[in-house]
Amino acid sequence: MDNCTGHSHFLLSAFLLTCLFGLSLGTELSFVTCGSVVKLLNVKHNVRLHSHDVRYGSGSGQQSVTGVTTVEDSNSYWSVRGTSGAQCHRGTPIKCGQTIRLTHVNTGRNLHSHYFSSPLSSNQEVSAFGEEGEGDHLDEWTVQCGGAVWQREEAVRFQHASTDALLSITGEQYGRPIHGQREVHAMMGPSQHSLWRAMEGVYMKPSESPLGNKDYSHPLHTEF
Amino acid sequence: MTWKSGRTCSTGFVLKNGYKTELLWTGRDFYKILGVSKSASVRDIKKAYRKLALQLHPDRNQDDPTAADKFADLGSAYEVLSDEEKRKQYDAYGEDGLKEGHHGSHNDIFSSFFGDFGFMFGGNRQGQQDRNIPRGNDIVLDLEVTLEEVYSGNFVEVVRNKPVAKEAPGKRKCNCRQEMRTTQLGPGRFQMSQEVVCDECPNIKLVNEERTLEVEIEQGVRDEMEYPFIGEGEPHIDGEPGDLRFRIKVMKHPVFERRGDDLYTNVTISLVEALVGFEMDITHLDGHKVHIVRDKITKPGARVWKKGEGLPNFDNNNIRGSLIVSFDVEFPETQLNDNQKEGVRAILKQASVQKVYNGLQGY
Repeated sequence: MDNCTGHSHFLLSAFLLTCLFGLSLGTELSFVTCGSVVKLLNVKHNVRLHSHDVRYGSGSGQQSVTGVTTVEDSNSYWSVRGTSGAQCHRGTPIKCGQTIRLTHVNTGRNLHSHYFSSPLSSNQEVSAFGEEGEGDHLDEWTVQCGGAVWQREEAVRFQHASTDALLSITGEQYGRPIHGQREVHAMMGPSQHSLWRAMEGVYMKPSESPLGNKDYSHPLHTEF
Repeated sequence: MTWKSGRTCSTGFVLKNGYKTELLWTGRDFYKILGVSKSASVRDIKKAYRKLALQLHPDRNQDDPTAADKFADLGSAYEVLSDEEKRKQYDAYGEDGLKEGHHGSHNDIFSSFFGDFGFMFGGNRQGQQDRNIPRGNDIVLDLEVTLEEVYSGNFVEVVRNKPVAKEAPGKRKCNCRQEMRTTQLGPGRFQMSQEVVCDECPNIKLVNEERTLEVEIEQGVRDEMEYPFIGEGEPHIDGEPGDLRFRIKVMKHPVFERRGDDLYTNVTISLVEALVGFEMDITHLDGHKVHIVRDKITKPGARVWKKGEGLPNFDNNNIRGSLIVSFDVEFPETQLNDNQKEGVRAILKQASVQKVYNGLQGY
């Protein structure tokens, strides 16, 4: 189902162009944009990046991040946001090589990594950290992809900006209370285990703002 | 000029003799149906559609036999006027001049503004008597909006990709539960064991589908306000999908600060301007200029109150708050020599003050 309302054979408005491309992904929007909320699928292991209010029993003791097989879990949504330093306007496409934060929608914590050992495989631990979307510089990840922007159909890698390790899954599974969920960790060196694809979600389209982005730079006040 | 059916057509349309489309008499005035002017922007049209769709929906007008027709007219009007090319054709040739084959489903248009699953009033789902129907999770997303969007309003298009339940061949197990079974092993000897028992249900598989939704950022919208889309949340394999809700988050602005419907801003002026007066323009959120003239002395901390230059009120867009401009003064950098100091004393003729007091008072 798409929002095409008929057979468009005659005119080339942007609306109708989308109908010509049919039902393939990328009909409406082929790339991932700032402000989009997505589920990330690990291509090799076919599980989605997930978090929840369960903490690691070892390592940092922070909120755990796992891979789940369920497709319809709302705890697998991550918001694609800019870093605290560089503002990213809603709807702007994410460039390859750009540094972003991935914020877990339901808990407001950011995908995070640090020099702690992961519980099952002893790789680098990946956790969810921060409050209401604000954590620290260890929340930053660089999107590695082939072209100019992060295409939705493309399998991409996420490199942790501070440690250079790549977000991966190698298949180890947890027991109770999160039975069957896979361990998510970061490791050096690209492999099939570190490929991810944007799947279900709500993608923000680039919108015409009422005025366009104006430059408001003024010298800062220092007399206070 | 009126047709026999009573519909009127305005001058300026080119009419074809006796030409009738498959469905209707020619000459519907789409602009009138939507209640917008001929020069309305796409945003105005979307806004009008959204407001009228809520009012004219047949579910809401069950006593009105013409409700379905009015609603269909509304859908056609929106379909044509929201599309640049179709609108151009309509403006030039009337409804007649539109090429055929574009009869879309009004439901598609409607649900891109409100979501699936028909309608809700007062937040409750209509017709859902049985609260035992399992429901998928709701998704609540923060939607960041700029102050410019709060001032002028905007429509945000989003693409929703979600799994949709589709029928599949065969059956599947559902409602699985544990039951105790008692088997007789012999006279007077029984064994109790646990058994998993399931029902049979039609097989369902989840297929990802995608469509565009339109979220309206209404003028004057406040932080934390939510725009729900029914049925656009997570699916549930045994029940109904949950809802998708956009929660508004108004971002900080480099120039204006919002307090309710009022806007606050600061301007730094030079010491000379503060003493002799000045004239200036402040560029507002939609680009128009707010003119400020001062011919008296402007003290640091002085405020100019501009009524009607604030944000539109959410409940009544015709009421606006005020823009409050606070001034601070930048002193010259260069030091004065003795001659200049004499000059300043002579011009200002202000006696020495030197009042000593506690300025902090507990802060």
